[in-house]
Amino acid sequence: MYTLIVVLGIAAALLFLAGFSRGLRNAVLEYRRGKPEPTEVPDYNYVGVAAVSVVLSAGFIALAGVAPMWIYAGPLLVLGTAAGIGIAFFVERPSV
Amino acid sequence: MDKSLFASMPSLTPTLGFASMIGLGLFSLALSYAVKLLLVRNTHDFIIADRRVGFGFGVASVISVWTWAMAVMMSSAMTFQWGLSGLFWFVVPNGLAVMAMIPFARVLRKNMPEGYTISEFIQYRFSKSKVATGIVTLTMIFGIVLEILINLKGTSLVVSTVFGIDWRVATVVGIVCVLTYSYFGGLWTSVMTGTLNTLMITVPAAIVVAAVFATVPGGADAVFGAVNTAGPEYLSVLRPEAAAGFGITLAFGLLAATVSDQTFWQKVWAIKSRDVGRTFLWAGALFYPIPICLGMLGLVGIAYGLTPADFGGDIAAVGPYIVSHIGLPLTLVLLYVLVILAACYSTIDGASSALSSIVAVDIVKRYFPSVSERLLFPITKISVLLGGLVATIIVLSGVDFTTLVLTTYALKTSILLPLVFAILWPRTNTLGFVGGIVASIAIGMPIYEWVGELAGTLSIVAIGGLTVVVFGMLGGKDFDVTSLRRVRDEIASPVPSAE
Repeated sequence: MYTLIVVLGIAAALLFLAGFSRGLRNAVLEYRRGKPEPTEVPDYNYVGVAAVSVVLSAGFIALAGVAPMWIYAGPLLVLGTAAGIGIAFFVERPSV
Repeated sequence: MDKSLFASMPSLTPTLGFASMIGLGLFSLALSYAVKLLLVRNTHDFIIADRRVGFGFGVASVISVWTWAMAVMMSSAMTFQWGLSGLFWFVVPNGLAVMAMIPFARVLRKNMPEGYTISEFIQYRFSKSKVATGIVTLTMIFGIVLEILINLKGTSLVVSTVFGIDWRVATVVGIVCVLTYSYFGGLWTSVMTGTLNTLMITVPAAIVVAAVFATVPGGADAVFGAVNTAGPEYLSVLRPEAAAGFGITLAFGLLAATVSDQTFWQKVWAIKSRDVGRTFLWAGALFYPIPICLGMLGLVGIAYGLTPADFGGDIAAVGPYIVSHIGLPLTLVLLYVLVILAACYSTIDGASSALSSIVAVDIVKRYFPSVSERLLFPITKISVLLGGLVATIIVLSGVDFTTLVLTTYALKTSILLPLVFAILWPRTNTLGFVGGIVASIAIGMPIYEWVGELAGTLSIVAIGGLTVVVFGMLGGKDFDVTSLRRVRDEIASPVPSAE
């Protein structure tokens, strides 16, 4: 399991850094171009997705008390955090 | 399980400790200087990043300021003390508190697109009431100083414990490292370094925790079995005493910590408007795994039958103790220290950046509206250093900062519902807002002191909310929220000059 987590960790870090460099490039380009940003705020309230994430996190903690293998869910999920941030850079729409 | 396995590592020398702290500081300084050259030319850029922080940077920077050094350690500590119930009550409200910002962030960003600070909103919401604005400004400043202070104190304790460095020296080195790079780029620096710090928190945390379980003979199976033997209640998330002991109080405290914190409001107005809602959604959801992962170290402490006396009496030290004494390779111990340093640095630079926005908008521009950009920009930059200096003096003086903690707690918790009503309920009026805060402190804090944390916290929140509702029903007239759209940009961005 340790080796798997190290390998996935490296993959997550690479995705994160690729996203970071994309975000940095876009930020500099947007700043140089100086085009005004739109001011609309979408009407989504995200209640459903937020509730699901709360329930899932509580569920993963509870599962760690059910069987030993779920103890590794924490380290695997936190790699998901790193990868998720990397993905966030790719799903954003740059203004340039 | 035999805890004689735990032994100190002689290779963890003070030199390594200084190298870790200063190395991360220098790396951040280099990034910060590049950020300054590329993205920061005036006060507007410095405190609000020209309102161009994108989705990825937004998500990562919110996670980074919310991941306090103490939170890294407390997730293990709460698991160690209460078992999985402790982790449950520590983790669930934590992510929820970030996502709870979504409705408020959406309303204010939509209706007051040129805002900078929550205190500025209160100023226009309550007809420029000096009392209402003053209370909120003071609360934000107290909160920021406390954020810096707690992170600095926690980190200096860890560094001094792991590397044997005098805690006073560790405090000074730590704050100098953060403030040096924070000074250059303001919010953009905080966002960029915070983003990279999130990488330094997440991937190393996963590797270190997995390595700890790999080092334990029998691995996760053995830990699980030993915890079950120590007490099956440690493997349950349903212990009511954990909820009553700290869970419910913590939940309200965390909600107040985000909604009543300029560090988050600064980001609300700095992130691109179309991304504000989903940024806080992703940040809250992606934050969850961090304490879940680090909390598993607490199970190792239970399995080995560690007691607080084994690591100096403070249960917050259980995670650092396990990692630095269980026999991991030096590199992995340093990675864990990096997790704590990254959490510390990103929270302090986020708080320092938030303080600069308060100084620029709520103090300098409010009382000296004709101040020139030429003067405002250096004042704003220097103000980044103020919170850190004050916090350092308090930490080094060795004074018991319980009073500061309690005062900030009282202000933040009492302000929670009045602020929520001010944003969402148009009938909220100045009398109700100020009266709610004053009444909840005057009545709730004595209950907190004499009856207990839970009763006190519930009283403070309830009194604040009820007072606002009563005054609103009695004498309130509807506030025209669209009037906030006419609020002009206090620190409009001058046209960037070519360099």
